[in-house]
Amino acid sequence: MGEVIVVTSGKGGVGKTTTTANLGTGLAQLGMKVALVDADIGLRNLDVVLGLENRIVYDITDVTGGHCRLRQALIKDKRYEGLFLLPAAQTKDKTSVNPDQMKELCADLRQEFDYVIIDCPAGIEQGFKNAIAGADRAVVVTTPEVSAVRDADRIVGLLEAAELRDPKLIVNRVRYKMVKAGDMMSIEDIIDILAIDLLGVVPEDEMVVITTNRGEAVVCDDHSRSGQAYRNIVRRITGQQVPLLSMEEDGLMSRIRRMIGFK
Amino acid sequence: MDTGRKVPVSFLQEDVEGEENTILIRRTLRSGQKFYYDGNVIVMGDVNPGAEVVATGHVIVMGQMRGMVHAGAEGDESAMVMAFRLLPTQLRIANHITRPPDDEIPPGTFPEVAKIKNGVVTIESYQTGRTAV
Repeated sequence: MGEVIVVTSGKGGVGKTTTTANLGTGLAQLGMKVALVDADIGLRNLDVVLGLENRIVYDITDVTGGHCRLRQALIKDKRYEGLFLLPAAQTKDKTSVNPDQMKELCADLRQEFDYVIIDCPAGIEQGFKNAIAGADRAVVVTTPEVSAVRDADRIVGLLEAAELRDPKLIVNRVRYKMVKAGDMMSIEDIIDILAIDLLGVVPEDEMVVITTNRGEAVVCDDHSRSGQAYRNIVRRITGQQVPLLSMEEDGLMSRIRRMIGFK
Repeated sequence: MDTGRKVPVSFLQEDVEGEENTILIRRTLRSGQKFYYDGNVIVMGDVNPGAEVVATGHVIVMGQMRGMVHAGAEGDESAMVMAFRLLPTQLRIANHITRPPDDEIPPGTFPEVAKIKNGVVTIESYQTGRTAV
C-alpha cells in the first residue's frame, strides 16, 4: 500500500509543479513505483514539465467520468522505470471533478504504487479541496517572500482543519546572498511563522528554467545545486536523515576557500 | 467536600464583577482564521498575520500578536490587548482603530499592553499587577 502526498502552496508560481516532477522522478530513480497526478484541471502543466504532453490520450476527468480505465490514462515515462503520469484536462475546469471522486482515485492508485504525488493547483477553492481529498500527507511549498508565506500559512490552517496533520515545508528559490545581506527572509523567519517541520530548501537555479523547457527534471542533473537539493529531499521522504546543503554559493572563490579549509 | 460551589475562598468584589466568560485557545491562529467571542480571549500561541481575534472583553496573547485584534468589540473602552510581543497589523479597541506607526520604531521584545488612555490608544510595557484602568 502506497502513500499519497499532496504538494500544495496557496500562492501560484512558487514551484509546486516543479517540485512534484522532481520528487516523482527522484523517487523513481531510487527504484520506487510512482504515480504523479496533475490536479490542476484546466491549466495543466505537469505534463509539459515532464515532457510528456504529446502522449496524452486520456486524462483524469475521463477516469473519474468513467470514460476509460485508470490504466489507459496513466502515461508511462520511458526514461524512468516506475514513473507514471495521470494528466489533467486542459479543456475543462476544476468543477469537473469532486472530492469524493478524487478519494476513490487515490484509493485505486494507492494499491499499485509506492508513492502517489498530487500536484495541487494554486488557490483555496474547489481545485485545492479536490487535491487534498485523497491525501495522506501534505508538503507545503513556499518562496522566501512575505506574500508567499502569508498564503502558505492560510494553507497550513486549511490543511489542519482537513485533518492533514503535520505538513512538511519546502522553501524554494532561496538566494543565499540576499538572505545573508538581510534582503530576503531567512529559513528561520519562515519557520517562525509557519511552525511546521522543514523537509528541504531549494536554491534559486537557472538550470530549473533550462531543464523545464526541455521537459526534463533538474533532479537528474548531477551538477546543479537545485538538483542536489531535490535529491536530498527525496531521500528524506524515504526516511533517511540528510543534512541541509550549505549556504555557500558555488563560485570559484568559495570552492577555493573550501579547499584551503576556510568555512 | 462540597464540589458544587464555584465562589473562590478569598476574593474582591471586582474579581467577580461583570461575570464575563473567558475562553482559552491553545493553538496558534493562522492566516485566514477569524475568532469571535463574547467575553475575554486568551490565546496560548501566536496570532499570525492575516488572522483576526475579535472579543467583547480583553484579549491576551501568550505569544506574538501579529494579526488583527479587536478588543471591547461592543464598545467597551476599558478593554485591553496584551501580548508577549505586540506587533499587530491593526489594533482596535471599542471604536478606535489604530495601526503601527509608519516610521520604523523597533518593536519591543517584552510584553506590552494596549489600552485607551485619555481617549487615545496607548501601548506601554506590561507591569504585573498594574493593569487596572
